[in-house]
Amino acid sequence: MKGLLKKLSPFAPDDSGACSVLYELGGITVICDAGGCAGNVCGFDEPRWFEKRSALFSAGLRDMDAILGRDELLVKKLALITEQVDAEFTAIVGTPVPAVIATDLKALERMSEKKTGLPCIALKTDGTRLCDYGEELAYYRIFERFAEEKLPVRAGKLGIIGATPLNTGETDSSAIKAAFAGEGSKIVCFGMDSGLDEIRRASECEKIIAITPSGIKAAKLLSERFGMPYEAGYPDICPLPSDGKILSDGDLKGRRVLVIHQQFLANALREKLERLAGCEVTVGSFFSMEGDYMREGDLHLDSEDDLTALAGKGYDVIYADGRFGRILKGFGGRLIPLPHFAVGGSLNKDVKL
Amino acid sequence: MAEAFYITARELAQNGYEKLPRELDSSKHMIYSSPATLDFNSPGAKGFGVKRAGLVIPGSVMLLIAPGCCGRNTALLSSLGYDERFFYLLLDDTDIVTGRYVKKIPEACKELLSELDTPPSVIMLCVTCVDALLGTDMERVCRACYELTGVRAAPAYMYALTREKRLPPMGLVRKSVYSLLEPQTRKSNECNILGFFSALEEGCEIYPLLKSAGIKRIREIGSCKTFEEYKEMSRANFSLVLNSEARAAAQDMQQRLGIPFIELTRMFRLDKIENQYRLLGQAIGAGLDCSPYRAAAEQVIARFREKHGTPTLAVGESLNADSFELSLALTEYGFRVAEIYGTVGERNFVFVKRLAEVSPETRIYSNLSPTMMNYIPSAEVEAAVGADACYYHVGKPGVEFNGEAQPFGYRGVTMLFEELGRAFEERGRG
Repeated sequence: MKGLLKKLSPFAPDDSGACSVLYELGGITVICDAGGCAGNVCGFDEPRWFEKRSALFSAGLRDMDAILGRDELLVKKLALITEQVDAEFTAIVGTPVPAVIATDLKALERMSEKKTGLPCIALKTDGTRLCDYGEELAYYRIFERFAEEKLPVRAGKLGIIGATPLNTGETDSSAIKAAFAGEGSKIVCFGMDSGLDEIRRASECEKIIAITPSGIKAAKLLSERFGMPYEAGYPDICPLPSDGKILSDGDLKGRRVLVIHQQFLANALREKLERLAGCEVTVGSFFSMEGDYMREGDLHLDSEDDLTALAGKGYDVIYADGRFGRILKGFGGRLIPLPHFAVGGSLNKDVKL
Repeated sequence: MAEAFYITARELAQNGYEKLPRELDSSKHMIYSSPATLDFNSPGAKGFGVKRAGLVIPGSVMLLIAPGCCGRNTALLSSLGYDERFFYLLLDDTDIVTGRYVKKIPEACKELLSELDTPPSVIMLCVTCVDALLGTDMERVCRACYELTGVRAAPAYMYALTREKRLPPMGLVRKSVYSLLEPQTRKSNECNILGFFSALEEGCEIYPLLKSAGIKRIREIGSCKTFEEYKEMSRANFSLVLNSEARAAAQDMQQRLGIPFIELTRMFRLDKIENQYRLLGQAIGAGLDCSPYRAAAEQVIARFREKHGTPTLAVGESLNADSFELSLALTEYGFRVAEIYGTVGERNFVFVKRLAEVSPETRIYSNLSPTMMNYIPSAEVEAAVGADACYYHVGKPGVEFNGEAQPFGYRGVTMLFEELGRAFEERGRG
């Protein structure tokens, strides 16, 4: 049955993705929920919650708030918070509750701006989609709203879009910056160890690299607005196996390999496996896939059954998050762990490969 | 940036419960999901939230019917071995506005059964805010599932929206987990203990006290290993309710199964514990001799004070106690409670008033107030009690006191001071 998970647990949802993008930007983020969604975000999908402070709150909706549509109360509570916490903007992140009662998020955005005097972005997530959907929305809206001024280009400045713990398994940007050091002298990971100021100065970048498909739409926006080129890529960081590890693993030579992850990390692994071990590699993802970066045979996966079917197509090796192990129990080849935080919730620092 | 809001016990008591400051009333502000209290904010989160609680029936499985976001943190329960017991029917955006998925639930139950080697005792159907708003008739859905599969189904309502209602999610789930019990001949020498999802700590005096009163079998859902054992709970002559969240479940059992109940409260003040046991003895017609247990508790407290003095404490709410009652008890034992992180309600305001008399300058914070993100730990605090207090006062000796073996009565007091003693021996005074 479509939508029935018998072996897996749900992946990171769209509201988590949106919050992940906004987390370090210095705004007040309100998850428009009763408490459970905020608990999921703060207690599971946002590992920075225990390391870096962020003004991320639950609207604390109660049944009568939802039934009566008390938008004014929500705005009043938001205005109260702006008196208590310094912030440059506010954001409202949707969940199933506003989706069921058809909250007009655009109207909430306008009401909040009027009441608080701060820019507000409301993101129409509903908890039913995956984190990449929420990330794409958030990246696009934040650059659209705040990256307005055309500044002189700074030679060697590289802007990275997509650096969230959900996509990278990292809670800070040091490994990503180190991996891209050869491509620029000043590297900015938007939303990771950088705030709204860098978003405003995005036009200074000489080039934008989207490290996940969810960053492409914002990268295109910046390119159209300021003229800098953009490309897709992924830093050579854990959990990608090092060149040495691939070379020393004789079993991989010439094998048929399936890589399951977010598309750009999977593509980066494919490039390595082809170059170093002559493998024939197919990429599959439960998350969104950009057509421009897909090859023939690459697949978007929609259900547990899709993966079971794909695994039965004669692959020798599958790289995938350990959580997929329960589905792939019957797979006769070799299963190599490729952790993905948005699936299994493991950070790179906790990964032992 | 505003400092973390607090009010002293004296000010709070003077103002009265009707004039609770806005920062202590969670309906009047946004909710801060303090890293210290995440499980408090989400009824499906860590510890025994609705999801894990729903699976306390031996041999049960759960189908979570919800958007993906509601089941995301269930992966946290993997390490506890729950993977094989959780199934998910994920809802899409059309589902949540039309409710069309309701018709698919029986078929989903049938399909998940094909994954299992043996049929489960029950399929718990866990629903969320979506169904709270759509008004789904879950009793009817459960009947439809039973008709199609022959396996019983019961609802688990993870309705975060109704957390402050008369019957909140944790009360509803307690009612659900006893709902499969069926009437049978009751035995005069058997009783149930209701209130927690795990059993009381095995050294708790309530077991020998009840035995001394002629009770041969004491059952708790947390210690039932099989569904057969669970079913025997309906043989009880009476139930003891140790947590008010189980009151609705006990009332339901009284109505359906004819099992009356006696409600006790978890307290940490020795006089109150003694008084409660005396009243229990009267209710069941037996004299309960508590004196050795009281003496043991007094001895543990005295030994702790001898060794470690009376340190200044911070008391949180992520613990197996009521923060205010426990703070009052600690104050009466001679300790100074400088700070409490707790949720003031009508029920525990009586402790606030008493605390105002004996420790008027105790500062009361709300973990849920957004201003708590600016909380700076006070240097005067020497030790912390509660997982949240330990989080705020990292580096100081502390006890989380939120384990699964439930403290109660005099044994609760000795457990606390034994744990505190160990913490001081390991870390020294803060």
